[in-house]
Amino acid sequence: MTLAPTGPRPPDAAPTTAARPRRAAFRSRPGRPPEGNRERARGRDRLWVAAFLGPFLLLYLGFTLWPLIATVYYSFFEWSGTGPPEQFVGGDNYSRLLGDPLFWQAVVNTLLFAIGTTLIKLPLSLLAALVMTRKWLRAKKALRTVFFAPLIIPVAMAGLVFTYLLNPSNGALNSALHGLGLTDGTTDVFANRWTALLALILISVWQVFGQYMIYWMAALQNVPDELYEAAALDGASEWQKLTRITLPMIRPVAVVIVMLALVNAMHVFGLVVTLTGGGPGTSTYVVSYFIYRQAFGSLPFAYGYASAAALLFSVMAFVLVTSQGLFVRRAQRLRKEYGV
Amino acid sequence: MSRPELRTPSAPRRSVRLSRPARANLVALPLLIVVGLVWVYPFLWIVAGAFKTQNGLFTGGASLIPDQWNFDNFRRAWVDAGFSRYLFNTVLYAVASTLIELFKSALCGYVLARYEFPGRKLLHRLIVATLFVPVASIIIPQFVLVDRLGLLNTRAGVVLAMSGAAGALYVLLFVGFFSGVPKDLFDAAKLDGAGFLRTFRLVLPLAKPVIAVVVIFQFITNWNEFNIPLVFTLGQPDLQNLAVGMLSFKGEHSVDWTGFAAGMTLSVIPMLIVFIFFQSYFVRGLAGATKE
Repeated sequence: MTLAPTGPRPPDAAPTTAARPRRAAFRSRPGRPPEGNRERARGRDRLWVAAFLGPFLLLYLGFTLWPLIATVYYSFFEWSGTGPPEQFVGGDNYSRLLGDPLFWQAVVNTLLFAIGTTLIKLPLSLLAALVMTRKWLRAKKALRTVFFAPLIIPVAMAGLVFTYLLNPSNGALNSALHGLGLTDGTTDVFANRWTALLALILISVWQVFGQYMIYWMAALQNVPDELYEAAALDGASEWQKLTRITLPMIRPVAVVIVMLALVNAMHVFGLVVTLTGGGPGTSTYVVSYFIYRQAFGSLPFAYGYASAAALLFSVMAFVLVTSQGLFVRRAQRLRKEYGV
Repeated sequence: MSRPELRTPSAPRRSVRLSRPARANLVALPLLIVVGLVWVYPFLWIVAGAFKTQNGLFTGGASLIPDQWNFDNFRRAWVDAGFSRYLFNTVLYAVASTLIELFKSALCGYVLARYEFPGRKLLHRLIVATLFVPVASIIIPQFVLVDRLGLLNTRAGVVLAMSGAAGALYVLLFVGFFSGVPKDLFDAAKLDGAGFLRTFRLVLPLAKPVIAVVVIFQFITNWNEFNIPLVFTLGQPDLQNLAVGMLSFKGEHSVDWTGFAAGMTLSVIPMLIVFIFFQSYFVRGLAGATKE
């Protein structure tokens, strides 16, 4: 943390100059054009640049770029993983996939799940964040911890806990419903596709709620206080402050949060494995589970087929996310106007 | 609210304004507490279940009070079910891959933000483009790669896969941060005769908010990671982490629920402490990082 001077320094670099830019670094972060900062590396610095890029590039090539290309390649082969892929089948995997009802069911379930969780968790977590950032609220830290707590349970463990809590013979849900006289106490939420999906969605919301609440809180913290003070001077009500200042100001970040929420939800895997195992029957299959079953679930492994599914799925995810591109660009324009 | 100092004779309007926070708390807090109790119910159930006997758990329904204080569950979970091993693996995977993740993304982000070099734009665009690639869709080639490296069913293989896959987002966070560091700072460092490494060491501490986000975020993700440890340790259950190892409680004909609850209690407590300790860094760090 210390900026100890080494060697001779020009006389005008008084001891304070060392501290000044550091303080400025904290203040003037936003708004600086990144272009002004970059310089061409010279001499030995070039080696350093290469060395700094090395670790990331190596892992990025090995675990992101190459796998993407390899997935495309594998998807044209019938391959069970032993030896190199040799049996070229052209577009067969794709035509089989397009006619595979299980794949489509998995796609529909994944989309239902992704959109369902996003629609529930984002408004609720925003509401929670709004309440939790009020200055008057007591016990903020404790409440924040409570809502964040489910995140620290590994997803698969949460799934197991809920299989017990929701089980039809002696789970907590049924004994509570029975105690209230609402049901006969033998409701099995996992016996039916729709209730099973709903359970998956709600449990997932329970689990990740705190994460999105914190995203929103971070977004809310970046709204300058002066705006609220000015609005208060003008006699704005709380509702007006919310709809005229808060919501427009956090919209750019909101777009990113929606994208993260959708994509993260499309990854759903552990919950499905532990809660429903794709069941009843195959009715709650999601795409990641489909891929897993095809590739690693049963002999002979169908790497080629699974790769085709993975690729189609990536394309779908990409389309879903970039269909927001329009919103993103609009939000960026807004962001510039507000200078945030 | 009948706090005496609010009923000062100054002005009635003033007293109303002062008591508003109190009234708001009176409405909001009970509501939040009820929701919060529902939220932590599964936790309380786990902790209570850790002390229950099998019988007490089965007949207890939604009850949170153990039928007796039974510590045998903890011993069974820790020793017989191999919980200590799963916990060790989880901590190892989470710490090692978080460090690798932080290391590679900080270095790369710094260089991308600070230096102009051939292919810089291309790399930046690639990173943005692959930001949202679902892990599940590229796990097969990753599996093949780790297999070829001879690291399948080893701890190194799991760590490599976990820290290799993610990271694009963190690089962008670091790029955003370092781009905003004023040029004067680098000029001053240059005047001081600081070289490449020294300058980096000088500005790195400024990125504390981003570092906090990366560490907490990645640590939680790694702690909960399920897909990668499951696939990369299919042939070596000894190397599984908690998330995957827990499945062995379910696999057999009957589930040892109280042992499971005890194991969960043991595994959740360390993370809870970490979170309570770091939570303010998290919000502040995220606020600082998203400002870019």
